[in-house]
Amino acid sequence: MISYRTVESWQRLILYVFVAALGFVFLFPFFWMIVSSLKLNKDVLAIPIRFFPSPWNWKSYVNVFTMFPDFNFPRFILNSVIVTAAAVLLCLFFSATAGYGFAKFRFKGNNLLFTIVLATIMITFEAIVVPLYILVRQLGISNTYWGLIIPESLTAFGVFMLRQFFYALPDDFLESARIDGANEYVIFARIGLPMAKTALLALVIFHAQWVWNLLLWPMITISEPSLRVLPQGIALFKGGYNTPYPEQLAVSVIACLPLVLLYIFLSKYFVQGITMTGLKG
Amino acid sequence: MRKASYSVTRLQNHGYVFILPTLLFFAVFLIYPMLSAFRLSFYEWNLLSPKQFVGLKNFVRMATDSRVINSYVRTLHFSGISVAAINILAFAFALLFGSRLLQWKNFWQSLVFLPVVLSIVAVGVVWEFMFQSTGLIPVILRKIIGVSPVWLTNTKAAPYAMIMVYVWKSVGYYMVIYIAGLLDVPVSYYEAARIDGAGFWGQLWYITLPSLRNTIALAVVSCVIFTFGQFSIQYVITKGGPSRSTEILSLQILRQGFELSKFGYASAISVLFFLTMLVFSLIQLRLFKSGTVGA
Repeated sequence: MISYRTVESWQRLILYVFVAALGFVFLFPFFWMIVSSLKLNKDVLAIPIRFFPSPWNWKSYVNVFTMFPDFNFPRFILNSVIVTAAAVLLCLFFSATAGYGFAKFRFKGNNLLFTIVLATIMITFEAIVVPLYILVRQLGISNTYWGLIIPESLTAFGVFMLRQFFYALPDDFLESARIDGANEYVIFARIGLPMAKTALLALVIFHAQWVWNLLLWPMITISEPSLRVLPQGIALFKGGYNTPYPEQLAVSVIACLPLVLLYIFLSKYFVQGITMTGLKG
Repeated sequence: MRKASYSVTRLQNHGYVFILPTLLFFAVFLIYPMLSAFRLSFYEWNLLSPKQFVGLKNFVRMATDSRVINSYVRTLHFSGISVAAINILAFAFALLFGSRLLQWKNFWQSLVFLPVVLSIVAVGVVWEFMFQSTGLIPVILRKIIGVSPVWLTNTKAAPYAMIMVYVWKSVGYYMVIYIAGLLDVPVSYYEAARIDGAGFWGQLWYITLPSLRNTIALAVVSCVIFTFGQFSIQYVITKGGPSRSTEILSLQILRQGFELSKFGYASAISVLFFLTMLVFSLIQLRLFKSGTVGA
């Protein structure tokens, strides 16, 4: 007779095999990106397949920065960093102020205006690229950092997230500060914001991840080569004639690294950013 | 009494100051462009010569333009299969990682989540290698089952290659939403169901799914919105080919507007894009809402 324990340990074994296979499928392409970037160009797609490079070709990581005069990758990385940092800061400003305003003040039209802001979730770049491009051109900010930063800083998800956070925060702290005579903006800056630290950090990561990877809007609004952002640079580099594979993969690994590192150290906040926007509507 | 209520109103009005900057920027950079897409869709315009009012001509042309119809159908096909696959898998993974038999849950979950944080352009680059005729996927498929489609040059296979990449990239995101939803279901519900003799499927059907109604609605609706606007994977891997089999709407808008300079026509396609998404989201929310019991 088979005992209950034996059944359970078989179940457990099958479960682990399955989960390990699953983990492998999800991890493998990233692993493959890294090892292939360290192979020689002729070995990348060679048959039979070799999993590890021989010899290890570390030069692709140098070449990608030096051998292609049309693709100034250090500059693209710098552009991406500037645009992401500025768009995230601006997003924090919008989300924190509006989230606080909607959550902590019962003014006329609060619900209506909040619903309108929420509805803009449906207005994605793909739906408005043409008029947005025309607008940005009329404002004279196409082909500038601002042309990328402003549209990329707007997200109803952020407003929603911070509104939910401040809503759950008890009013007592604010009230006692009011009784002490502090004005509303000081209360927001000194009491509201510091309490929202976790939510703000989650938003930083959530939004940075989005902006860092955007492709369509930069493709449209940036035509000046020196202002290209990294994903745009990689997409155009890949489309080039005779572009060596290891270099394409090397720059792809570089594009992934910042967020992978952030994820390894701050995974808690990635998860929070998603659950706080996706839940409890 | 009067004085007190006056000061309360004044206090509440500070709210306007807090929301003003956001409202202003959302109005100028999101809402105005959206309305302006509707207006532009009635014009012919190449940005250089003055724009010309043409009434419904763009929409009439769209209805008979095989290229636009093709990309509309491709988008529905891509989105339909992707949204279904992503949500079913994400839900299944969430259940799997909830199993009490499993340890190191965080580790396994973070592997499934990893693609979400990778750069989507980089993901496109590496999957394209893996799909090439001497790339990893065809080689392994030929070893295991003897045959493999030529993924990126076959009009039947290429759309599914796009779906595979997209599902792989996104499923972890929705898994996290479902895991959080599952944690919110009170354990006592399951205990009660077990006492009533419900097995795994019974508990799933009578407890888990009804309790997760709101979570599922939000996950599916946001998934539709993101998936419908998917652009990067197709742009990087196939550029819409072979024979336009992966030319989805967002690529079509880019081509008609920014390559062919038909900005009015591209706006009309954007309007079609937006209205479709709106209709889907409203239907879904209605469907889920009608079944919600209590609060």
